[in-house]
Amino acid sequence: MRNALGREIPEVLAGRTLRPYEGAFATTPTGRKASRPQKVVRPGEDKVLASLEAAIEASGLSDGMTISFHHSFRDGDRLVNAVLDACARLGLKDLRLFPTALFPVHEPVIEHIKAGVVSRIEGSMNGPVGAFISQGGRLREPAVLRSHGGRWRAVEAGDVAIDVAFVAAPQADAYGNATGIAGKTPCGPITFSAVDAQYADKTVVVTNDLQPYPVYPFEIQQGWADYVVVIDEIGDPGSIASGTLELTRSPARLRIARLAAAAVKASGYLVDGFSFQGGAGGISLAATMFVGQEMARAGIVGGFAMGGGTKLLVDLLHQGVVRTILDGQAFDLDAIASLRADPQHLIMDPGLYANYDSRGCSTYRLDAAFLGATEVDLDFNVNVNTHSDGQLLHGIGGHQDVAAGAKLTIITVPTLRGRLPVIVDRVTTVTTPGEVIDVIVTERGIAVNPRRQDLRERFASAGLPVREIGEIKKDADRLIRPPSRPVFGDEVIALIEWRDGTAIDVVRKVIGWE
Amino acid sequence: MSAQATAGSLNKGDCLVGVTDIEAPSLDVKADHVELFGAGIAAVVSETLERLGVHMALRVEDQGALDYVIAARVEAAVRSARPRVPAIRPAVERESGLHDRIRRTRLYAPGNNPRLLVGIELHGADCILLDLEDSVPPAEKPSARVLVKHLLAAVEFSEAWVRINPLGAGGEEDLAEVLLGRPHGVCLPKAERADDVRALSEALARLETAAGIEPGATLVLPILESGKGVLHAEEIAGADPRVAGIAFGAEDFTRDLGARRTRDALLWARSHVAAAAAAARVQASDTVYADVEDEAGLIAEATEARDLGFSGKGVINPRQIGPVHRVFSPSEEEITQAERIVAAAAAAQAQGSGAVALDGKMVDRPVLERAQRILRLAERLGKETWR
Repeated sequence: MRNALGREIPEVLAGRTLRPYEGAFATTPTGRKASRPQKVVRPGEDKVLASLEAAIEASGLSDGMTISFHHSFRDGDRLVNAVLDACARLGLKDLRLFPTALFPVHEPVIEHIKAGVVSRIEGSMNGPVGAFISQGGRLREPAVLRSHGGRWRAVEAGDVAIDVAFVAAPQADAYGNATGIAGKTPCGPITFSAVDAQYADKTVVVTNDLQPYPVYPFEIQQGWADYVVVIDEIGDPGSIASGTLELTRSPARLRIARLAAAAVKASGYLVDGFSFQGGAGGISLAATMFVGQEMARAGIVGGFAMGGGTKLLVDLLHQGVVRTILDGQAFDLDAIASLRADPQHLIMDPGLYANYDSRGCSTYRLDAAFLGATEVDLDFNVNVNTHSDGQLLHGIGGHQDVAAGAKLTIITVPTLRGRLPVIVDRVTTVTTPGEVIDVIVTERGIAVNPRRQDLRERFASAGLPVREIGEIKKDADRLIRPPSRPVFGDEVIALIEWRDGTAIDVVRKVIGWE
Repeated sequence: MSAQATAGSLNKGDCLVGVTDIEAPSLDVKADHVELFGAGIAAVVSETLERLGVHMALRVEDQGALDYVIAARVEAAVRSARPRVPAIRPAVERESGLHDRIRRTRLYAPGNNPRLLVGIELHGADCILLDLEDSVPPAEKPSARVLVKHLLAAVEFSEAWVRINPLGAGGEEDLAEVLLGRPHGVCLPKAERADDVRALSEALARLETAAGIEPGATLVLPILESGKGVLHAEEIAGADPRVAGIAFGAEDFTRDLGARRTRDALLWARSHVAAAAAAARVQASDTVYADVEDEAGLIAEATEARDLGFSGKGVINPRQIGPVHRVFSPSEEEITQAERIVAAAAAAQAQGSGAVALDGKMVDRPVLERAQRILRLAERLGKETWR
């Protein structure tokens, strides 16, 4: 069947009947949320177990079950590999891995797939595991990719039933209260696990820093936690930046950032109370900086800035340029220090900021957001998941949630990455539909979604270089022979869910080249 | 790579092309994501070989080079292996250079560095100066000429200049190659006498005729960067109708004099260059400011140059364009005042009065002419407010 974007979607995938994407806000949830089994812990009962193996056995984890993790340590995470190694030692097979995201550090997962310990993955895959699956490494079922909000929704809705949630906790007490912003190796908020911890049949808090009761802030609460395990190493906070926080020095990228900031200024949204998403990644970071400078210059006091938290946002908070930061994850150690010290730097969870099936998201309160893309197309659709060679290499992150919510969603991209065109006729994979993208800013000009004539007029009268997206594409294409195109087979290797749980696209296996 | 001749590099945005055998044609392409890019690269290579009229074995290691870069590297490698192969003559449509274009900034770009050349035309500089002189090491000059030619042919520039090497030191070879790409103008470094400019003009005339370019279409910008050059500013500025302006080069000038680069040390030279330009009715362009991080210093030096009568300045990084443009563009206040002066003059003329007064002060002729010039400049610059 074809969904509303014309993408060919199988009706049934791995036994699951798919709902086709209908539109950014087309669906209305029905029924009631899922729930976990009842349980009681009585006074005097002890939750602390001696090892991961002991916790795995106590949890009742068995073949074919689902285990979950957060990704707040990003490329410094140690827990996913440690738990899978323990599962392998215990002879467990056929597990479904349900992390919020995997990073290059999780390359050992590939060995566990080959050995049959892991047979299914639902979660973002950044790097080698995605490449392995793209290149024919077999999972029993296609991978499922969801946005931050989409994953939260899927757990609440019961689309994914977690058997055991493992929560890497930089600091915890023996009763299971846990935080990510304190301890020996703070990684930033661990609220990505909050839904897992509340809905999993069993929740295991794993810490390397056990402190006297009570640990606060309790991003993870005692009432959700079944067991507590203390191990030596859960992650390396030195890697949370994952290389996305360098302010770009490239003149072309700086030009894009300046144009994006100028577009915000011209949009009419940049007034007192202005609230925005400050992204990571070179261009977004620079654009955020330029907007901050403009606000300081013009004496505009912003509302809230949404993280991933960075030193840049923290500086804006301390300068009084924004009133509040809402943070679901930390991208550097400055953000973590600020979360501890500044009462206006607030921890949020993905349910608060991004969940479609809820009574309102923080992203709906955003005026503007800067987001990236691997590809964009003439209909303003955005791909962040696959490369032009069809390889599945990145997760969705909060892309869909932010783009759907912000009044002004700006995609900042260069037109060419080496010989690779970024503006294409039709994206390899749709992550985020053009319906929710307002503006694409490139070094060759600004393309405005035809739905936003108001912005087009404002930009033009501010002297911004507004152009048709097709014209920008033509300029870039003149400099390169078009790249060869992959030929996709029928086999689906991954499902891309829109944030409401509908199928916005699938990734098929590459079987050859045109 | 074992090869008889190579061109290019393994830097980002470049490719390294080697001629491995001039007898047996073959092509070996190495690239990241060769499935995506291999066929496109091969197509560029074979088309380039066809234009050169040769068949030989090549090896290409790509680092994300655009088509014109690949073509340039192939041509340079082939001609290095077989020097008698004639140069490619790309088809280029270009308007002739205009003497009085606005040139608040001329952005220098090193002629052999594809990473820094890609998109150089997008930053809004009034003109681009593709450099074959100081920023290109001697061994790379042959391939840099070819690269600049292909860049000129591939990209639309609002105005593109090439800084050649001095005549007698590679300048003739530079001209023969880059004129095939039809730059708007040629920048002559270390100009010291009117004859230097005339020699360049004659060489240009020969090459223009050979290339089917309208004679005189190519402009000249001599750079005065020695004691001799500055002293002879007047004869250089008036040496030839091709001269659109003269530029001052402070680094070489202070080195030549054994002077330090202070405001005072440069004051006479800059004033002299500005006056010589005015005498010949050509533009005066100021030296570059080397410290990219120091925006305040850049603005101060540009402001001095403007006050001395210069109409623009060299820049070495796109970040310098915005500040320099602001200095050399009339401000809102200047435009408003100029409009008032012109209106007062028109009113006086309507009343048949010879004397123009505004705010109780006489407006004499130079003041009126300056106001008219500001309004003309403002109109030509149009709206460029987003920066």
